[in-house]
Amino acid sequence: MKPDLSFEQIERFKADLEKCTKCGFCMSACPVYREEKIESSVARGKIMLVRAWLSGELTPTDEMAKALNKCTLCMACAQSCPAGTQVPSVVTAARADKAGQKGLSFPYNLVYRWLLPRRRLFGYSVRFASWFQGIFLPRTEGSIRHLSYFLSALGQGRHIPEIAPKFLRQSVPEINPPPDGVPVKFTVGYFTGCMTDFVFPELGQKIIRFLNRNGIKVVMPRGQGCCGAPVFLGAGDFKTGRKMADANVRAFKNLDYIITDCATCASAMKDYVKFLADTDERKQAYTEYAARIKDVTEFLVDIAKLPDSAYRVAPEFKGKTVTWHEPCHLGRYLGVKEQPGKILKALSDIKFVEMADADQCCGMAGTFSIYFYDLSKQIADRKVANIQATGADIVTTDCPGCQIQLIDSLTRHGLPVQVRHIMELLE
Amino acid sequence: MIDARQIEQLRKIIGKENVLTSPEDMVSYSYDAMNLWAHKPDCVVLPVDAAGISAVLKFANENNIPVTPRGGGTNVSGGSIPIKGGIVLVTTRINRIIEINKTNLNATVEPGVILQDFNNALTKEGLFFPPDPQSAAGCTMGGVVAENSGGPSCLKYGVTKQYVLGLEVVLADGRIVKLGGLTPKNRTGYELMMLFTGSEGTLGIISKITLRLLPAPKAEKTVVAVFTDVAVAGEAVSEIIAAGILPAKIEFVDNWTFDKFRGLLPDKTLDTCQVILLIQVDGLKETVEAEAQQIFSLCKKTAAEVKVAGDKVEAVRYWAARSAHFSDISSRAHTIVNDDVSVPRDKIVEFIKRGQEAARRFDVPLSFAGHIGDGNFHPVVLTDSRDKEHFARAHQCVDEIIEIALSLGGVISGEHGIGLEKKRFMKKAMDPVAIEIMKKIKDVLDPRHILNPGKIWEDEADET
Ligand SMILES: Cc1cc2nc3c(=O)[nH]c(=O)nc-3n(C[C@H](O)[C@H](O)[C@H](O)COP(=O)(O)OP(=O)(O)OC[C@H]3O[C@@H](n4cnc5c(N)ncnc54)[C@H](O)[C@@H]3O)c2cc1C
Repeated sequence: MKPDLSFEQIERFKADLEKCTKCGFCMSACPVYREEKIESSVARGKIMLVRAWLSGELTPTDEMAKALNKCTLCMACAQSCPAGTQVPSVVTAARADKAGQKGLSFPYNLVYRWLLPRRRLFGYSVRFASWFQGIFLPRTEGSIRHLSYFLSALGQGRHIPEIAPKFLRQSVPEINPPPDGVPVKFTVGYFTGCMTDFVFPELGQKIIRFLNRNGIKVVMPRGQGCCGAPVFLGAGDFKTGRKMADANVRAFKNLDYIITDCATCASAMKDYVKFLADTDERKQAYTEYAARIKDVTEFLVDIAKLPDSAYRVAPEFKGKTVTWHEPCHLGRYLGVKEQPGKILKALSDIKFVEMADADQCCGMAGTFSIYFYDLSKQIADRKVANIQATGADIVTTDCPGCQIQLIDSLTRHGLPVQVRHIMELLE
Repeated sequence: MIDARQIEQLRKIIGKENVLTSPEDMVSYSYDAMNLWAHKPDCVVLPVDAAGISAVLKFANENNIPVTPRGGGTNVSGGSIPIKGGIVLVTTRINRIIEINKTNLNATVEPGVILQDFNNALTKEGLFFPPDPQSAAGCTMGGVVAENSGGPSCLKYGVTKQYVLGLEVVLADGRIVKLGGLTPKNRTGYELMMLFTGSEGTLGIISKITLRLLPAPKAEKTVVAVFTDVAVAGEAVSEIIAAGILPAKIEFVDNWTFDKFRGLLPDKTLDTCQVILLIQVDGLKETVEAEAQQIFSLCKKTAAEVKVAGDKVEAVRYWAARSAHFSDISSRAHTIVNDDVSVPRDKIVEFIKRGQEAARRFDVPLSFAGHIGDGNFHPVVLTDSRDKEHFARAHQCVDEIIEIALSLGGVISGEHGIGLEKKRFMKKAMDPVAIEIMKKIKDVLDPRHILNPGKIWEDEADET
């Protein structure tokens, strides 16, 4: 092992690694610690493990990998840290160095290095894999080695919507101008994450229609791919991550804004510069790219500045009680906290009730929930209890990943609460 | 050293999911919230109930295995470090709030409940548990009782021991004993609960706690005063008390951590001043308003700047800055050596002056902060344990500060406990007969000395 090379990424976040003073304030913030109550699951413990790895006291064993993977990157620890330690950055960097030292294991190497970066092929293999739901996939923790495909793994044992018969990219054109008579006020690029593309294509269609009706021309570049979150944040594969990042940057050249309906994709793409910028050109390109990314609610409220009257609830949701789950990536990462509430409060025909701990992680966290499905369910159960306490008919959110988790959890509990993306509520 | 067969037995006793043995887990349970000591256990157990604690202790006692109790591991005196190896027994999985009773004004909790979670539950009921260690976000109720913790509010409300009504404790041989009860008045026999309150895990493991509660104060008001000189601030504190006001909290920080107050107070004041006092009064709205005004006027006489927080949001921001003090100061040096002395209030000014003089003499950076209202200070010397010479001077300085406190009629630890950190002062700080009695009590309750060995009064000679 060459220590000088193998801690390349952690070295970049050394300041964070050193900031932690072990005060333990993260213990009441961490959703994983709340369930497991062992030191290696909480932020402070992970920092100490990484320090011990760096000092040579520990080596990157499976046990170490497990501790590093057991983090939803929800950022709650960083928010409560009086020293301002960005533990999620350290965890991500450590995952990368671990991958660098030990390599990715099969089948992640296949899926992440080869499939995810190839959007069309990935789409087909998702469909193919969906036929095999129930054969390859892990039912509980510990069997991740048998994981077949990332997305379909989410389906295993989970109550999730089926893979859509027709993907979004197959059902809408690349350029979507406003209807005749509506002048173009803005032109935006639409980044459709994998979930919207393959699982929730109607959401994408609805967003395009809403934007068009309000004078916003929507371009859906065909060259776009996966945001890369599962690859560079989840698996620590920065090399493939860069390929994906570069493809997205190319695809959205010349567009003033890049709109997303998935807080995870948006924040992962904003983080390209933090984790993936290995050259000056990339640093510049990623910085400039990040500045153009806007969550759809943020765009509507802060940039397009639509009047309250623009928001009308779709007939099917009239009279319903609605609550809001704030995705970690939306509130803590993107800092978009007020905008969704503004939209929901503008909808006069629904009753909006706030839920307790709305900003707490739902336990999805992408790859995390595949590695640790049981744990992910325990975290979700708290969310379910809070949803139930509001008496809402519908829980809305702004991240298809959270949506899948909420659908699964509410179904498991046999609750008749619908899960909707906030944009789906709009007419 | 525990052998493989014994680990297997422990797994049988409390379930394999509650026994940790990996090298990663041993590192995870080797530390407290300081950088002065670390020692790995041989294994970690996480019982899920009192019966589990009892079974582990019985086994450990029969096999002479050291057991170090641990809650949140936020102590700063080495208390939770398994300095002799053996088992770390963690209470975090025993974490139910069993009852909050509004009529009886009491609550019964398990030891692993995080203080902040308990406080959140009480707030919903309009109730209040006053002891407020600044580590509330991580420390557990068991740790709070075992350390007899205090915090800012103890000026008016006293420390944890004033709130303990009943305890369930597991003794070293595994017997589970119930002490005290549910009522605030109880004159049945000796106050045995008090033995375990503040015992730092050396006499038994607390498995259930009944606490007295208060109704939450109806109103609060925070006053912030900035002074050019620490001694002048100390005099302001004396004046407030002399005026017949008993604030809930009077805290202070010095300019080492003024950065946390940037944006809250004018830069000019922060750049030229030495110390910030934070004062909180609580009670009925009318009283609180009047007292805040009175404090404002008193401070105004000598302070460079005085502000009454306009609303709760503003007040919370001041208090958050205060609570960040410890980690802020810790992050400014590789190693900090901190202190927890408490001196009588009328000696505060003298204590601070002599402490600062000592730091100058030893040529080490010293930051003062703490619960100035009740005379409990946390002087912190910033150092680097890798620089042997500086580290030695830092220790000499801290030792001298402790000597100063003792000479003024103070104590070596106000709230953090003795643990490993202050063992060396015990002989000076306590009557030898009292130490003798403590040893006898230890022999009765834990004859084989398996519980948290190497702490408080045990010196090398005692440890054969
Ligand atoms: C930033 C910071 C601020 C702090 N501020 C304060 C403060 O204002 N006031 C204050 O008093 N302290 C303070 N502390 C110290 C510490 O947090 C408290 O002493 C706290 O109560 C310890 O609780 P814990 O659960 O972390 O206990 P641990 O650190 O796990 O253990 C502390 C001691 O108690 C024993 N113990 C733990 N649980 C049990 C049990 N169930 N039965 C028997 N023994 C047990 C352990 O063996 C050990 O000796 C602070 C610490 C930090 C890091």
